[in-house]
Amino acid sequence: MTVLETLRSGIARTGDRLVEDARSRNGVVFAVLALLALLAPQLVGGYTLDLLTQLIIAILVVTSWIFIAGYFGMFSFAHAALYGIGAYATALLAGQAGVHPVLAVLLGGVVAGIFAIPIALPVLRLSGAYVGMATLAFAEIVYRLTIHFRELTGGPTGYTGFPSLFGGNRLALYYFVFVLVVVLLVVQYGLLVNRFGLVARAIREAPDAARMLGNNVPRYKLVGFVVGSAIAGVAGGLQIYTVLIISPPMIEVNRMIEFMAMGIIGGLRTIGGGIFGAVIVFGLNEGLRDLGELRLVIWGAMLIVVTIYFPNGLADSSLDPRDRLRELFERE
Amino acid sequence: MVSVALLAQQIVNGLLFGGQLALIAVGLTLIWGVARVLNFGHGAMFMVGGFVGFFTLGATGSLVAAVVAAGLVVFALGYVTEVVLIRPLRDREEFGIPSMVVTLGLAFFLENAFIVWIGSQRQSFPRFTDVIWNVAGITLSAQRVLIFIISLVALGLLFVVISRTELGLAIRAVSQDHDTALLMGVRPNRVYAITFGISAALAGLAGVLLAPLFAVYPSVGWYPFLLSFVVVMVGGLGSVRGTLLAAMGLAVVRSISIIWVSSQMAMVILFTIMIVVLVAYPDGIGGYLE
Repeated sequence: MTVLETLRSGIARTGDRLVEDARSRNGVVFAVLALLALLAPQLVGGYTLDLLTQLIIAILVVTSWIFIAGYFGMFSFAHAALYGIGAYATALLAGQAGVHPVLAVLLGGVVAGIFAIPIALPVLRLSGAYVGMATLAFAEIVYRLTIHFRELTGGPTGYTGFPSLFGGNRLALYYFVFVLVVVLLVVQYGLLVNRFGLVARAIREAPDAARMLGNNVPRYKLVGFVVGSAIAGVAGGLQIYTVLIISPPMIEVNRMIEFMAMGIIGGLRTIGGGIFGAVIVFGLNEGLRDLGELRLVIWGAMLIVVTIYFPNGLADSSLDPRDRLRELFERE
Repeated sequence: MVSVALLAQQIVNGLLFGGQLALIAVGLTLIWGVARVLNFGHGAMFMVGGFVGFFTLGATGSLVAAVVAAGLVVFALGYVTEVVLIRPLRDREEFGIPSMVVTLGLAFFLENAFIVWIGSQRQSFPRFTDVIWNVAGITLSAQRVLIFIISLVALGLLFVVISRTELGLAIRAVSQDHDTALLMGVRPNRVYAITFGISAALAGLAGVLLAPLFAVYPSVGWYPFLLSFVVVMVGGLGSVRGTLLAAMGLAVVRSISIIWVSSQMAMVILFTIMIVVLVAYPDGIGGYLE
């Protein structure tokens, strides 16, 4: 053991002893964050509030990706595509079929969940990096099809013919997004801290052992993939109401890389890591907008450095026991 | 209606493109077979090769110098990438995903660094030659034939290196059994780095060779990367012969689908083929990575 490893494991052990104490403190941290988000419209308005809405949506996308990639170990590249399917479905349901925009968001999630099934079925047989390859192929197919079927999707220029949510009232949109995201975060958290989450982690760490203990591994993976994808679909539906357009760049590989970077930089092992990563990358992108593409260079480099030197992300409790952001939702 | 002449033309175009595609895809399959890395940065290496060639051509006016410089600079880039980004991950229990993520990060980093540095607009690269041949009703551009021939020569050289030289023996040894190769006095770390360099150099070479067709811009590498990604999966990871065959076959499928449907749908067809192969042979293809 090198000195650094000894130091790190020592810190991690200290951290573990603090978990009991920290759990209650995390409740406080989370409550404060939620209260802040709840009061945000009193503090900021206009464009800043729109950005906050988008950040909250990004948090939902990243946590739902972590639900699949972090907990089940299915490193999916199709997440941005399923987010896009939810977005297109919402836009078309509200714009063409006359469905109420609020209902359209929820149905968009259902549609994304349904599309996730044919994607998941062949992927269930694969593991490790092969999951990434197969899902990347699916993502590309979805991306090309949205460009090809221009009568339906508006092609490369996108589709705008859907009504706004709450007549374009930003405040109402913010609170709607906030409430829906909190509910879906609680749903994910609830699943992950129960037996379902334990089996998910068992599948990630030792699939054969999980199977031998009598768990139907493919079924768990399928359910996990579909639930995570449906949640991404809801996020996609919400996103179109903040930008009022849906177009192919919303789902291309670059978006997937951005969501991945958020998850990996924050840490894939916990839902809290996803929130942390989303705040960092989103904040960097918006805060340094003046730097243009340079900010993408910065988080490209962060993605590399974090992968090599912080395998569990920046919100890793073994790095700093006081930094309990990752413990926000964790109860092991 | 699609005429026979058009079909013949597209098959020829496909075969010519297949040779170019093979040059990119063989690099990808090589680094997979030997070092078990799916290099998402391969397209970025292609892009860097194009730019190095572009600048060298601007400075020296020599196409040969441009091609040589692209190969050498991108070799160095690949070597350094292995040492700095891949080597620290090698001891990880699960190596496939982190190595995929760092190369993805590298691709993103390089692409945007070039955008910051040069801008995202296309720089046109001079054509090698303007000669057009007409053979039995089929139009042949001398430039495409030339690129095809250079690609085959480069691949032939690679075969000679792998099958006839000491380095090739070391590469084959490491790809088969890392530990035994170490015992036989091979230094796997050096072999990995050199192989990564060779793989990158092939992409860089392709980048400058295809520059007259694709132009030169920071995100130019994505499309060739995706195509070669499909080729490598269909042809069999780590199998150079399979990759060559798949490159030719898929390039023809692509050329023909473009006239029947759209270029977007051609990609859909290729990716569908890839998924079918990947799912039908989850072990047959790989065995290298896991």
